[in-house]
Amino acid sequence: MSTAPVFDGMFGEPADAPARAPRRYGLVEADSRMQLVRFGLADAYNLTRRYVLRARHQPDVIVGTLLLPIIFVVLFGYVFGSSISVGGGHYRAFLMSGLFAQTQMYAAGSVAVAVSTDMSEGVIDRFKAMPILRASVLIGRTASALIVGLPAFVIMIGCALMVGWRPHAGIGNAVAGFALLMLFGQACAWLGAYIGVLARSTQAAETLAMLPTFLLGFVSNVFVDTSRLPSWLRVMANWNPLSALVAASRKLFGNEAGPAPSGVWTLQHPIVASLLLSVLMLGLFVPLALRRYEGVGR
Amino acid sequence: MDELLTGRDNLEIMGRLYHLRGRHAAARADEMLARFRLTEAAERLVKTYSGGMRRRLDLAASLLVEPRVLFLDEPTTGLDPIARADVWQAVRDLVATGTTVLLTTQYLEEADQLADSIVVIDRGRVAASGTPGELKRRVGSGRVSLVVVDEADAIAVAVAVESVLGVLPRITGRTVRADAPAGVDSLGALIAELRRRDIAVEDIGLHRPSLDEVFGHLTRRPLPYTPNRTVPAGARHRRVR
Repeated sequence: MSTAPVFDGMFGEPADAPARAPRRYGLVEADSRMQLVRFGLADAYNLTRRYVLRARHQPDVIVGTLLLPIIFVVLFGYVFGSSISVGGGHYRAFLMSGLFAQTQMYAAGSVAVAVSTDMSEGVIDRFKAMPILRASVLIGRTASALIVGLPAFVIMIGCALMVGWRPHAGIGNAVAGFALLMLFGQACAWLGAYIGVLARSTQAAETLAMLPTFLLGFVSNVFVDTSRLPSWLRVMANWNPLSALVAASRKLFGNEAGPAPSGVWTLQHPIVASLLLSVLMLGLFVPLALRRYEGVGR
Repeated sequence: MDELLTGRDNLEIMGRLYHLRGRHAAARADEMLARFRLTEAAERLVKTYSGGMRRRLDLAASLLVEPRVLFLDEPTTGLDPIARADVWQAVRDLVATGTTVLLTTQYLEEADQLADSIVVIDRGRVAASGTPGELKRRVGSGRVSLVVVDEADAIAVAVAVESVLGVLPRITGRTVRADAPAGVDSLGALIAELRRRDIAVEDIGLHRPSLDEVFGHLTRRPLPYTPNRTVPAGARHRRVR
């Protein structure tokens, strides 16, 4: 079944409409621009809250949130770390920035799947029939991905500290590093939202989002020093946008990474490059996703 | 409704999205849970709800802010009879408080139970509209059915029926049926005639046509079980063509 309420004035009241009993719970309409803005913010907040609340009841999400960071650090830190050596010396300290960045990128996949699931369920039709800020469904999805991902990020940082990673460049730089990583995570979440509204099915969304993130995650400087890669792969890994982010966070955390390869602007100015990249992605995918969302189901 | 939220969380968040203030949203959620008999299940996840409970929660969410007009698209499809009666009662309550409900349904009994005004749509076109009574009058006033005590009496009853109503009754086992154009008057005359002839019957009843029959009549596709509306084989073939 689907239901759609209609409210006063939606179709216009006839002039001779009989007087009606006042209602205790009539629709609250914004009576000023300020209140409209307040309502929009409240809508985004309430939908974010909705998605965070529902995550509590998804055991797979909880297990993934708590276990995945530990598995990643142990698996890559010790399994790879035993046979890979990097210029700086301490592999696990080298690796952690890469894992932080990779984890942020995975927001794209989870948001893509979540949004495409939303689109295939009737709940979107209901939200579209409600007097709420249109964008708030996608804002709720992307913002809740950040919030739900926060405990995982904290656990990963804890694991990193346990295996010997330390931020050496001061607290200010470390905070800037985490902020940069999370900004990139939001950019990826919006890319995921766009994939989610674009995809015809949840499976398609998953494949569409996972394939590039998988490729970008491994053909990069996340796990290895790119200078030892064969030349054709090295070009790809050096110009990989994720590599810039990883290089930026290594710089901000003061982790040894060896000299930046010459001629690769994004690795020579990794902080500016990854900041630009994140802003560019947001500037591109926020409007794209919203416009596509508006069009779906019409 | 969100399967992974409790019934209360669903309603409260919906209320907030309708811009009820936090305190009001919570109070209203509780009020609607009580009204739709979901208070006990309020803290359970919606994925554990039965079909009827979900339908009621869905209705509750639609009524958080009181709409003037509510569209319900097949609200009882797939529900068991008790859940259906619940939804019907909810709709009647709504109408009683002044909300206009526009409801679509495949079940004509549902339309009969709930509607003040019915529009019959067949193959995308309006076949007829009116009150349930007006629609029913289009196919006649009704029919009588009598159940005799002993199957051997059926013929005698049929003769009596024919003498009173002037139509040929149909006999099925112990049941005798016939069109009764004069409604209750035919029933009275029939009972008097049976008494005069001293024939005992176990049951006698007057049935007004159901909306199912009205639909068959309006769409020129008589239902297979419609009594006394036998369609000649040739005529049926002509219609199919």
